Amino acid sequence: MKNKKKRGFQLSEKQLGYAMVIPSLILVIVVVLWPVAQSFYNSLFDYRLNDPARSQLMLSATIDLERYVDNHFYIEGQLDSLAGSADSEENAETVKEIQQDIESYHSELISDEEINTKVEKIDELLMNFTPVRDSELKYSKLDNDFAKDYREALESHSAELTAIAEASGDEQTSQAFQQTSDLLASTAGNILKSNFIGLENYGKYMKDQRMWKAMGNTAFFTVVSVAFELVLGLAVALLINRAFKGRGIIRASVLIPWAIPTAVAAMMWGFLYDGQSGIVAHYLEVLNVIPGASWLLSTSDGGMFSIILADVWKTTPYMALLLLAGLQTIPGSLYEASSVDGANKVQQFWRITLPLLKSSILVALLFRTLDAFRVFDLIYVLTGGGPANATESISVYAYKTLFAQQNFGEGSVLSVIVFLSVAVISFIYVKLIGSDLFAGRAK
Amino acid sequence: MNKRAGIGFYLFLIIFVFLVMFPFIWVFLTSIKPPGEIFSSFRWFTKNPSLDSYEAALTNRPLLRYMLNSFAVSSLTTILSLAFASFTAYAVTRLPIKGKGLILGLVLAASMFPQIAIISPMFNLVTGLGLRNSYMGLVIPYITISLPLAIWILATFFKKIPFELEESAKLDGASPFQTFRKIIFPLAAPGVFTTGILVFIAAWNEYLFALTINSDDMWRTVPVGISMYQSQYSVPWGDISAATVIVTIPIVILVLFFQKRIVSGLTSGSVKE
Repeated sequence: MKNKKKRGFQLSEKQLGYAMVIPSLILVIVVVLWPVAQSFYNSLFDYRLNDPARSQLMLSATIDLERYVDNHFYIEGQLDSLAGSADSEENAETVKEIQQDIESYHSELISDEEINTKVEKIDELLMNFTPVRDSELKYSKLDNDFAKDYREALESHSAELTAIAEASGDEQTSQAFQQTSDLLASTAGNILKSNFIGLENYGKYMKDQRMWKAMGNTAFFTVVSVAFELVLGLAVALLINRAFKGRGIIRASVLIPWAIPTAVAAMMWGFLYDGQSGIVAHYLEVLNVIPGASWLLSTSDGGMFSIILADVWKTTPYMALLLLAGLQTIPGSLYEASSVDGANKVQQFWRITLPLLKSSILVALLFRTLDAFRVFDLIYVLTGGGPANATESISVYAYKTLFAQQNFGEGSVLSVIVFLSVAVISFIYVKLIGSDLFAGRAK
Repeated sequence: MNKRAGIGFYLFLIIFVFLVMFPFIWVFLTSIKPPGEIFSSFRWFTKNPSLDSYEAALTNRPLLRYMLNSFAVSSLTTILSLAFASFTAYAVTRLPIKGKGLILGLVLAASMFPQIAIISPMFNLVTGLGLRNSYMGLVIPYITISLPLAIWILATFFKKIPFELEESAKLDGASPFQTFRKIIFPLAAPGVFTTGILVFIAAWNEYLFALTINSDDMWRTVPVGISMYQSQYSVPWGDISAATVIVTIPIVILVLFFQKRIVSGLTSGSVKE
């Protein structure tokens, strides 16, 4: 009986399979696919974290109610006292008109039920000096035309008051008018325009010299360092593909550069390249390989050379390891048979080794190319993109735009460009490699 | 292989290992020099070895705290992603579900996504959740790197286990989940462990997310912490050398102990067997 009940809860193999896959799929969607889609969406806006007028994604005109309510509270009082202190009948009249106009816009604004509730809530919070943290409460969408009219009305009234202030002979009155004028101008700034700009940022970057330079640097770095890594890695793999004593030492010494953090490696190389106390810079200078010890980190060519050398040092061992694993799957009998037929070593390499190693080489190249194209830590820590942006990769440029300038709109354009480039590169490789990529996994 | 290793070969090996290890050797030799000597000469060995640089490295910046942070974040990431990934890898390789190719394709694509395209929404998300400068604030973005990696490697290991085992378990009346828990998972344990090491190293080495999300000095991880040793006015190479030696030791130990596993994990994805 008990057993039977238990059976009732049992999942079939299929159901279990889906139940096991779904959590990971959800995670991948939430932490990988959604952020990339969001980056793309952000790139369509003029979105800057450090500018209160543009720190939101606004498809339509929006009002910053927290600041607006705060400013509006003072407007009434200040206009009242201006009407009282005006030095001419005409000016008092103007102030009254302004007061009426603003009041009519304001009542139109709060005639919206939702906005009215929000305004009351914010009023209460402000009375208690509590900042409004909930962005749902703080921001409210507005009709584009109304927002435009209200903003322009505030701006023109502000100009009127400034004119009065400048014309007034009395210093105190002049100051009072100027103060209110500033208040109206700042209130106008609380009514925000939509910052949706579509593909405008992309157009801008297509013409941006620095973007193309960063792209060129990245492509150059990727091609040269991956080419060196492949040739050196293959050479090392061919040489150590035999039985010998001390394999363990080789394996460990090859793995350590791969295993240490790139940032730590970059700091180490920064020391070795240093113009004053760097040993590598010193030896290369003594051997006349480079013009001077400071050449490495203070010139454009030197900077590029430095990051490529450091990258080759860090990843050639990894490449050799992958290729060695590929070499070991080639049956020795092939070489024996070809020797009997009179083939020499060179012929064996081109006719047997390379063709059979093709898929291993392509897979290794795929992963290395993508890694190299996304390069960030090595450059950011070793040269910071310098000197004069000569080693700046596209990822470093994107990072600086995003976090140093706090410009999430333009930075997202750059990160979408990185994403698209990576997608194109992987597409080409996957076409070349074909179904071998999935070998040994799915049926 | 019929090639025999001769003297020339060993000479080549020695040169190769020396070149690969040279930066470490030099940094170690620098770390035991008295600070004054570092800037004045290129001599390899110092006559007065001292531990001053080590003391400075540990006291000028909270290096041990960085290591603790890195350890906590990497361990949490490893445990979480192994749990999710072993389920998925098992289902994709051994259970009759549809869309396997699609799932693996998605996972592979996710592992190729550049982190720079993920960072800004992730930064907003973590800020919104109030998780900046905390361990979870890094673990969540690290899943983007570690989960696809773990699924991809684990899938190869699960695939290698003979399918007859499941059939006999089924005949003995085991439920599908029991088969996974009691039979396949224990057999795949070495593979899971290998995957764990690789995921741990990947999380330990991550730089971009750690740099942006945990900007408070007490929450920095090792790679970011090390890169902050240079100040605007001077570069304390002695401190940096000593700090590098300290943070490299755990990795050297890890590699020495588990080198065979690491190599099998690294190459599992790249060769057909």
